[in-house]
Amino acid sequence: MPTLKINGRRVTVDADATILDAVRAAGVEVPTLCHFDGLEPWGGCRLCVVDMSQAGWEDDWFKVVTACNHPVDEGMTVVTDSERIIETRRVVLDLLLARCPEAPLIQELARDYGIEETSYTPNPEPDDCILCGLCTRVCDHIGVSAISSADRGWGREIAPPFHKPPPDCIGCLACAEICPTDCIPYETSNIRRTIWGKEFEMLRDPKTGEAVITKEQAEHFAERSGVPITYFETSDTSKRRQMASTFQKLQVVK
Amino acid sequence: MAEIPRSDLSVAEEILGGYPAEEPALIQILQDVHRAYNYLPCDVLERVAEALDVPLAKVFSVSTFYKSFSLEPQGDTIVKVCTGTACHIRGAGLLVEELERQLGVGPGETTEDLSFTIKTVNCVGACAMAPVMIVADKYWGSAKPTRVKKYLAKGGDDEN
Ligand code: SF4
Ligand code: SF4
Ligand code: FES
Ligand code: FES
Repeated sequence: MPTLKINGRRVTVDADATILDAVRAAGVEVPTLCHFDGLEPWGGCRLCVVDMSQAGWEDDWFKVVTACNHPVDEGMTVVTDSERIIETRRVVLDLLLARCPEAPLIQELARDYGIEETSYTPNPEPDDCILCGLCTRVCDHIGVSAISSADRGWGREIAPPFHKPPPDCIGCLACAEICPTDCIPYETSNIRRTIWGKEFEMLRDPKTGEAVITKEQAEHFAERSGVPITYFETSDTSKRRQMASTFQKLQVVK
Repeated sequence: MAEIPRSDLSVAEEILGGYPAEEPALIQILQDVHRAYNYLPCDVLERVAEALDVPLAKVFSVSTFYKSFSLEPQGDTIVKVCTGTACHIRGAGLLVEELERQLGVGPGETTEDLSFTIKTVNCVGACAMAPVMIVADKYWGSAKPTRVKKYLAKGGDDEN
C-alpha cells in the first residue's frame, strides 16, 4: 500500500486509489465539479488540479495534475494549495463563471477563490450547464445512454438525439439528480413524469397508490437484475409495513 | 450528385454490409453514408445505431461533432468562404455578403432548390491567396465580390 505526503502529512492508501482519494484520506479538501464517486473519473473540469512530485524526481520538480483521475504511487508528494494551483483554479472558475454567470454553485465556488465577477465576457445567453459530463456518464453507467454531448466548441451542449424526446430514456432522473448545477429540468407527479421532453407513466404501489418508478425504469431494472418487476413497484411505505407485519408474527422465545 | 431519397435505406444497408458490425467502423460508415446521401438522414442514423449496437445518442454525438457531417440536406454544390484571420482581413465578409445577395441564403444555409449550400470555414491553409472561396472542389484565390457570380457559374469546372 503506497504512502504519500499530502501537504506535508503522511497517508497510506490502497494501490488503486487516486490522488483525490489520498487527499481526502488526509483530511484535505480539493474542489471537484466533474467527479462523482462510483463513476469512472473523467478529468474534464480541471478544478481538482494539484501539484505532484514523484519519488526520485528532483526536490523542486512538481507537475500540475488532476487529482480525480491520477493514480497514486509510493513516495508521491502532493501539494494542494500552492500559489500556481490556486491561480489555475481561479482561471478555471473565471472561465466557468463567464460561461454560467447565473449558476449559484459556480458563483459560490468563484467567490471562494476571490472572484465576484468574471474577467472575461459573460455568455450573452446564460446557461447553467458546465459540460461536466456527469449526466451522460451516469446514463451510460446505468446502461441506457439516452443522451450525449452534441456539437462542438461554442455550440457544444448536452442533448438527446436530434433534440427530440430520447427513445432510450427510462425516466430515472439520475441525470437530473447528479447535475451539479441542477440545470436539467423535469416534472414528476404521482401519475406522470416528464424529462427531456419525454413523458412517462408512473408505476404505483398497488397497496398505497404511491408513485414509485416509471414503467420503463422498472422494466430496465427487472431485465438486467432478473428480479421480478413487482419488486420495483413496492413503495418504501409498503416495504416497512410488510416488515412490521413479519416482525409481529415472530415469536420471541425467552 | 445523385439524389437518394432519405427513406431509401437500401443504400445504407449496402454500406453497412461492407463493414464489420462494430463500433470502430462508425465513422467510416458515416462518411460513406454522407457521400451517398449528401447528408446524414436521421432514419439512416437510427439504422446504423441499431446495426452496430451503438446507442443512438452516441451516433448523434459523433454526427454533430465533425464539421464535415451535415444532418440537414445540403445543396449539390457546397460553397465555402474562408473567414480565417488572413481572409477576414482581406475582405471575406464582403464575399459572404455578395453570396447572400446572389443566393438568398446565409452561411450554414441551403437554397430552396437544393443547388447551393454556403459554409464559412476557418483557414484552409492558403492564406497567401486570401481571401479564398471554394466552389465545390475549386479554389478561387484573391476572390473578389464582383466575380462571385462567375465563381458560382463555373462551379467546380476545371477551365478558368
Ligand atoms: S432520466 Fe433518461 S436521460 Fe436521464 S439518466 Fe435516466 S435514462 Fe438517462
Ligand atoms: S447538464 Fe448538468 S450534469 Fe450534464 S453536463 Fe451540464 S452541468 Fe454537467
Ligand atoms: S474533478 Fe477532476 S477534473 Fe473535474
Ligand atoms: S485564413 Fe483563409 S486561408 Fe488562411
